[in-house]
Amino acid sequence: MADSKLAIGKGDSPRSVANKGDKRNVVRAIRMALEMEGPAIRRNTQTLNRGRYRAVGEIPDYDTLKDQARQIKEKAIANLPESMRTLEAAVRARGGQVFLAANAEAACNYIREVCQHHDAKLVVKGKSITSEELRLNHTLEGAGIEVAESDLAEFILQIADEPPSHIIAPALHYSRERITALFKNTFKTDLPLDSGEELTKFARDKLREKFLRADVGITGANLISADTGTLMLVESEGNIRMTSLLPPVHIAISGAEKIIPTRREMAPFLELLAASGTGQNLTSYTSFISPPLDDPPFALPGKPRKQREFHLVLVDNGRMKMREDPIFHETLYCIRCGACLNSCANFQTVGGHAFGGETYSGGIGGPWEAGTGKLENARFSELCTGCSRCVNQCPVRIDIPWLNENLRARLNHAEENSAFSGFLSMVSSAEEKDRPAPASKVFFGNYHFFAKWGARLARLSNAINGTGLARAAMDRFVGLDRRRALPSFPRETLVAAARGISQAKAKNPTAKVVLFADVFTNYGLVERGVAALKVLHALGVDVVVSESIPEGRAALSQGMIATARKYARGAALHLQSFLNDGRDILVIEPSSLAMFRRDFRHLLDDPGQFERFRTHTFEPLEFVARLIQRAGCGPKDFFDISRSPVGKRLFFHAHCQQRTIGSAEPTMALLRAIGFDVATSTVECCGMAGSFGYKKDFYELSMAVGADLFQQVTEAEKDGGPRALLASGTSCTEQLHAGLHQNVMHPIELLAAILIISK
Amino acid sequence: MSELTDIFETNAREAAASVERCRHAPGAVRQALERVTQKMGRIVVGAAEFVDPRLADVLRELPGVILKPADEQLATANAGITGAFAGIASSGSVCVALGPPLTAAASLLMPLHIVLLPAERVVARPRDLFEEACLGGEGLRRNLVFITGPSATADMGPLVRGVHGPHRLHILLLE
Repeated sequence: MADSKLAIGKGDSPRSVANKGDKRNVVRAIRMALEMEGPAIRRNTQTLNRGRYRAVGEIPDYDTLKDQARQIKEKAIANLPESMRTLEAAVRARGGQVFLAANAEAACNYIREVCQHHDAKLVVKGKSITSEELRLNHTLEGAGIEVAESDLAEFILQIADEPPSHIIAPALHYSRERITALFKNTFKTDLPLDSGEELTKFARDKLREKFLRADVGITGANLISADTGTLMLVESEGNIRMTSLLPPVHIAISGAEKIIPTRREMAPFLELLAASGTGQNLTSYTSFISPPLDDPPFALPGKPRKQREFHLVLVDNGRMKMREDPIFHETLYCIRCGACLNSCANFQTVGGHAFGGETYSGGIGGPWEAGTGKLENARFSELCTGCSRCVNQCPVRIDIPWLNENLRARLNHAEENSAFSGFLSMVSSAEEKDRPAPASKVFFGNYHFFAKWGARLARLSNAINGTGLARAAMDRFVGLDRRRALPSFPRETLVAAARGISQAKAKNPTAKVVLFADVFTNYGLVERGVAALKVLHALGVDVVVSESIPEGRAALSQGMIATARKYARGAALHLQSFLNDGRDILVIEPSSLAMFRRDFRHLLDDPGQFERFRTHTFEPLEFVARLIQRAGCGPKDFFDISRSPVGKRLFFHAHCQQRTIGSAEPTMALLRAIGFDVATSTVECCGMAGSFGYKKDFYELSMAVGADLFQQVTEAEKDGGPRALLASGTSCTEQLHAGLHQNVMHPIELLAAILIISK
Repeated sequence: MSELTDIFETNAREAAASVERCRHAPGAVRQALERVTQKMGRIVVGAAEFVDPRLADVLRELPGVILKPADEQLATANAGITGAFAGIASSGSVCVALGPPLTAAASLLMPLHIVLLPAERVVARPRDLFEEACLGGEGLRRNLVFITGPSATADMGPLVRGVHGPHRLHILLLE
């Protein structure tokens, strides 16, 4: 066992960096995971993720099923106290016992007492992540009871003494080679253990003997129906069936949130859980049992056959408090499928030892860890970049980025911060409530302020930005990594440039729009704004450019929610007058666009106003495609591919948030309709994710995430030479440039270059 | 109906089960079972619900069947035979009702599980078994296990079929 730890190197092990209450452990864990676990995690999460896309694609009414599941969970959590009483009566009526454990200690003590009452020497466990939360094995082993983990992943972790790295595949960070080494070291065997089959047979034989001898079997539960006391148990190995069938005493441990009012309402979860979790139509075994079972328990020769006994341990351990929380009650809808982990680019790269705490990991892991433990333990939630790729993957539609932004807000308040961060907050007019945020967050969260001054003093700031001294200062005070190129500030902002571009007033404009001068376009990539104006003018659109004001994205991503709300309301107020004037809103930066289409839901008071923004904001190419279609024309009437300055072969990387709101497809469709050969990335995120990749603590991780994207470009060029790179997002543009050292343009710039200017 | 069984068969094979169509009559089932269990050794039989009652005799008389197995015989038998409460077309699963003597054991403990599934009990999707109108609403009341292919794991690196549960699942689709 000691040997496997030595292999981790530099003194860090998954166990030693598990507690993120210690701030340094976030960065140390990232390094440990990148060095030791990266390839296995990447392979396994991406396999699960691809399988998930395939499996949910085969459910014909996937979206309706998700709505149903969401509604059932909302109702279940709202009526939880009543359901708990109903469930208790149902289990007792069948002769079982129910224990409501207020906390981990109470749960562990109860289970230990049941075991001791039966004079248990050996307990066999099916997979239960909740028992990991409770540290149950510690209690049982302390009482001299042998615990045999029978899920093969848990079996590995028990031998290696490591915390789980994934909620449904706890040993996902182990490659086959490392398992072989671990088994050979631990069991000192000469058996050839060089294949998955040999390893499985070896573990199976060891565990078969435990199943037959066990005095008590402990399982978790995926769901429990209150009306019938039925446990839903999802697995593939058969160990959970064995655990609940063979020993005379069955103890099921479950978080109280798993209770669903009726057995009938379990139906939508059956398909959703399997498809979202392992990418299967159903896993090998999904049991619905109302214990105690009718079959007599197993008895070895010479041993008396005992009566069956069943105990259901319902765990509170913070859940009832979460239920009262206006934000975090949503966590309790989680059915623990792992889809948010597998669809997360950061998680795919470092897994749950870095992007996770002592028990829970990934996007939903922060809220779980904070809710069932201490807020500080959820510091790893910093690895949620808000890219939002998990949002559409969650079978119960939990807005996971929003939970993490709120977690960040609460963590910001809990930190002690420097006078410098207070000064930055003050000059940049961050909201009073967000004032305790660290300097780095204030800087990135109020980027518009610093960008505005950077642009006003463009010549000076660009010169200063290039100096080693300035970079050292930014590195030190706001955590901006020195290896990142800084955006150079334009001499002229988009707002100023637009004043110089005259538009012949069309008598009958084809459409009326306002182009939102988002901070990243206005103070950064002005050329894409100018290109958008050129295309819109050519299409006969009446365009005005808005003021450049923040819409709140940057603040929101730093957990400065009060500030984000202020900015969102300000932007809404400014843009509302354009909407009233009958103008649609075009937004170039996808992260800004996603604010209007998605995040404003949380930030504006009036749902009706959010709905207007959601339905009247467009990405430029999305809008152009609609306009052309509405005019009854084709793209080739307006764009001529032979004018392309970059040839016909393109590689387009869509921004993560753009994909979530469904506005990436129109870009690809339009470019293809014009005649381009468009290859696209399938990565969930480029790794930059707004400010994330600029931060020095996360630079290595960001580049490791980006490696997949760079690789995909290289692959796509194998079939006939180079492709011009296109990206919609500012930070994706920077990431692609950093990884491939090539010019990257926005698709609207390409459209502007191939316009057929009539008359 | 025939379309459902076709979908079922395709998906069950996809899930690494083997499927054999067979007439729902004692003679045909006896022949099929004898072929599958040939030289198999000891066989444990769960109570056969949901099938032609005459099949009970066929099962009892099958070579190798242990009629009243002791627990240690359960642990070392080579094959188990059970009836199926339902089949699920969309996933190729068989749904076995637990409760009748030896059904749980015969569908779990042996390396080979043979399941007898009457074709008319194949439904479209798993959720159908949560409807009162489906198969008498029994799906809402019984202890059930949805079985999709043999037991499997991806915890040891590559996908391995055959872990704690059966290594092979053979479905006799009775028509």
